[in-house]
Amino acid sequence: MSKFKKESGGSAPAINTSSLPDIVFMLLFFFMVATTSKESDPSVKIIKPEGTSTTDMTPYKQKSEIDFLYLGKPLNKARAAQYAEMGMEYMLFMDNVVQSTPDLLYNTSAVQAWKKDKFESKPPRMLEPIESVITCIKADKGAPSGIIFEIRKELQAIEALTIAYAVGDNGKK
Amino acid sequence: MAKRDIPEVNAGSMADIAFLLLIFFLVTTTMDKDQAYIRNIPKKIEIPDKKPDPVEQRDIFAIQANSQNQLMVRGRLMSNSDDISERVIEFYRENEKSNNATNNFPMYSRISMSEIDGLIAKSTADAEAVEETPGALEDIIDFKWRQVAEWEKKKRALEMLGADKLAEISVQAHIRVEVQKATEYELFAKIQSEVEQGISELRDDAAMKIFNESYNSIKNRLAMDKGAEDREKIQLLKILYPARIIEVTPKK
Repeated sequence: MSKFKKESGGSAPAINTSSLPDIVFMLLFFFMVATTSKESDPSVKIIKPEGTSTTDMTPYKQKSEIDFLYLGKPLNKARAAQYAEMGMEYMLFMDNVVQSTPDLLYNTSAVQAWKKDKFESKPPRMLEPIESVITCIKADKGAPSGIIFEIRKELQAIEALTIAYAVGDNGKK
Repeated sequence: MAKRDIPEVNAGSMADIAFLLLIFFLVTTTMDKDQAYIRNIPKKIEIPDKKPDPVEQRDIFAIQANSQNQLMVRGRLMSNSDDISERVIEFYRENEKSNNATNNFPMYSRISMSEIDGLIAKSTADAEAVEETPGALEDIIDFKWRQVAEWEKKKRALEMLGADKLAEISVQAHIRVEVQKATEYELFAKIQSEVEQGISELRDDAAMKIFNESYNSIKNRLAMDKGAEDREKIQLLKILYPARIIEVTPKK
């Protein structure tokens, strides 16, 4: 008799989830575009110092015209202690050093071989001259500057003449 | 034959697949930008047995830091490292309007368009003469032509500036960063930051006056589309306020 149909009790209607994949894909593409992939997980601990008026390295990363070096205390406690005994508190970390014995990963004498190897492994179509391929040093606040100049000397020997000192931008004007 | 229904594909697991991909990308990527200061390492050259000409004291802006992380700027101790950028600006500004021989700041040279034209003609003739000399070294010919290019750049800069004279800081004027081996990287980075801040403030000021937009916005646009006009603008700003930074290798 009534004009309104009584809702048939029982189960609620199923939610249509067919557009869920589309939403998730959109999220996925957003993240793919907005981020850059980590080049490696360094095994040294780094707290960046702060600075202003910095240059953004993203364009160079997208063109693979930049290699990263890390300088900090080893995360591995045992190794940290072992090196501290030898008077080396701060260690260098390079990824994929040729003949990568663990010791070489932390030694400035391997910088030349590492940089050359990195340079040669790039596809030839994106070969910038080695002078302009940036070597970016990410160093810990407390690291001694002497090591940076040792690295500079190694790089000068193979004419990799562009260097960058990484800092965190504190956004102050 | 009766038409058969195409069976519907079950897309229920599509969302799961997409989520998996999403999470994979979330884990392997970083959001934080890498910010840094780009510097050039000088090329190694064989030095002949001749001492380079001494640089006048007024042309050196020395920033020194020792192993106890104490700062000295132009021979005076400095307790607050935030003041370096102001001193850098002072170093460039002091003689910019008119030279004062009595103060301890770098001199400026002021060159007019007709003088530049004369120098272009002279250096071109010079380069051609060297090129025709039998047995001239490739390096020297190269160097001579680079000089010509340098003057051409300055001519273009002065045209854009629209003034009658191009004021240029002494070619010897430079900023010298001297640290010791044990100086902490934090202080080293702070010095770099302050120097960069000082110079970009100077360039920003000039950019605002000449082009009515900030140095950073020109730089960012140049990085995006590499326009010839923006390149010339940046070139002009770099000629007005060159960043000559020498980082001295520490001995101890």
